[in-house]
Amino acid sequence: MLRTRVAPALLGALMVLTVLGALVLAAGKPLGESFQIILQGATGYPRSEAFGPLDAWDAVLHDLTLLVLTGLAVAVALQAGLFNIGAAGQLLVGALAAAWVGTQTGIPAPVHLPLALAAGAFAGALWAFPPAWLKVRRGAHEVISTIMFNYIALYLTHWLVTERLKDPAGDAPQTAPIAEVARLPMLHEAFLQASWGLAIAVLVALGLWLALYRTVWGYETRATGANRDAADAAGAPTARRMTEAMLLSGALAGLAGAIEVCGVQYRFFEGFPAEYGFDGIAVALLAGNHPALTLVSAYLMSALRSGAYHLHAETGAPKEIAVVVQAVLILYVAAVYLRKRRIEG
Amino acid sequence: MGGILDAELFGTAIRQATPLILAALGGLLSERVGVVNIGLEGKILMGAFAAALGALLSGSLWVGLAAAVLVGLALALIHAVATQEWRTDHIVSGVAINLLALGLSTYLFRQIIVPREEAGESSVVPTFGAVSLGGLENLPLLKDQSWLTLFALVLPFVLLALLTRTRWGVRVYAVGNDSQKARMMGVPVKRMRYLGVLLSGVLAGLAGAFLVLAATGQFRENMSAGRGFIALAALIFGRWHPLGAAGAAIGFGFFEALQMRLQGQPVFGVQLPTDLLLMLPYLLTVIALMGLLGKMKPPSDLGN
Repeated sequence: MLRTRVAPALLGALMVLTVLGALVLAAGKPLGESFQIILQGATGYPRSEAFGPLDAWDAVLHDLTLLVLTGLAVAVALQAGLFNIGAAGQLLVGALAAAWVGTQTGIPAPVHLPLALAAGAFAGALWAFPPAWLKVRRGAHEVISTIMFNYIALYLTHWLVTERLKDPAGDAPQTAPIAEVARLPMLHEAFLQASWGLAIAVLVALGLWLALYRTVWGYETRATGANRDAADAAGAPTARRMTEAMLLSGALAGLAGAIEVCGVQYRFFEGFPAEYGFDGIAVALLAGNHPALTLVSAYLMSALRSGAYHLHAETGAPKEIAVVVQAVLILYVAAVYLRKRRIEG
Repeated sequence: MGGILDAELFGTAIRQATPLILAALGGLLSERVGVVNIGLEGKILMGAFAAALGALLSGSLWVGLAAAVLVGLALALIHAVATQEWRTDHIVSGVAINLLALGLSTYLFRQIIVPREEAGESSVVPTFGAVSLGGLENLPLLKDQSWLTLFALVLPFVLLALLTRTRWGVRVYAVGNDSQKARMMGVPVKRMRYLGVLLSGVLAGLAGAFLVLAATGQFRENMSAGRGFIALAALIFGRWHPLGAAGAAIGFGFFEALQMRLQGQPVFGVQLPTDLLLMLPYLLTVIALMGLLGKMKPPSDLGN
């Protein structure tokens, strides 16, 4: 336990701090003060005049909501042995679908929000279906097809938001704002971006934990991911479980997009932040694809992002420091924890 | 329509296709020895940055080119070590390399080049000019092309010859199809894989260098803009064959050129949505994956 779990984790943390420190120094910023600012951005402490705990938590909890969902999306597919690189595209179509439903009139107020969120999840699942089908029926590698569908989503949503669903009230490439009743309330009145979507994300994580580790469905799904041939031989409907996991994965990514629309942006627009879909890969890998641990790894990633962003705001150091650290972390986790585990091609 | 499909359009198509051909052939060299390479995008991006920085600091295009190749090699080395020594999943390593390149190139760009721009210095480097071929360069397609484009047009044939006529080519085939058997036959599998992955780094680095040293003259954030993934699509669409991959890359380059030409220009009075043209390479690849265009068979030992 100490040698196989604790030591690599400590070494990983040490390496992250080293890389972070090196990037801060290379940017010409003082080390101690910078770490303090990063900590401020991540937790709100030590408190500064301009930036209190509420500001920090607003940023961290917002990112946490999205990263939990996209992390779970990648994790549930990986549990079934599928690498969903397409969360970004699924997030985009989910966001646009939610914005479309959100701007419709004539929907009864109490169901408008649930309907918008459901539309996002449904669109995401729909977007994940062709890659799932191609994998199960045609043996096409899901990594390739989900990458293709990312770009198809990017151009399709761009076309729709500039040509078909554009807010007629202006020239900007964006949809009209969604109805007031289709919006998620903020977690705290002082917050600007952290909505009750977080509660949904946490509930989904707990539900998925139960589903994957306490049901026959989950057992069969994990068995499929661990060794498809063995699961087949044991009578598990592996093609079905893979398809379901992929659809669920797309639904979660789509839900992330819908929550970003209903909770923060209140519309879809050109350049919608789809990169959270890619960040979900790091979150899932760091959590070993376990839904409960996804909450922890998504928090760490959110804190890192918020810290780096705050450092950028305070000192002008490039905020991409967070991206580099994330890349190094993925490589480290993959090299130490994921050796020899192959994703079936 | 007659005013659109002219020689200039095809010339632009070949120019647009150049980085795609280079990167797709790079991907081919790596995947044919069984190493999945979705890190092409990152290598192009980092190569572009290194080319800009090298040329900017030294004043020499060739230093920029060398820097791009070296950086491509370095990223490829990470991929090779991760997949061959640490036995990391190929996809995970590729994802990490793409992220690393995106983060590092943007970070360094803002640390080194942006301050120069803010100080009023130019960040534009000269570009490789049109090459002269003793009169041949006046042919419509070869007009105003840099040597990198010509290199990209010749390379598929060179690669095809190497893959089919040399011992190295036979070994590549053996490793890509059954590495176990190849090992038993005495083929140095690991060395073949290192070579393939490193060569893919060189070519992807060159693709990045083209973007700066031949196309635009300067680096911009995330300027690879998905070309690594289009190259991957071209590789699959071309069925892992040098001529197929290069042909697909040229086809995809044509869509890009057409899209640039159609910006704001109606055809028969109808404004074609350029987004749908940009989507075509990906859509066609999906159709190819569906098996509608015949059987797609990757090297059977891919990813192991």
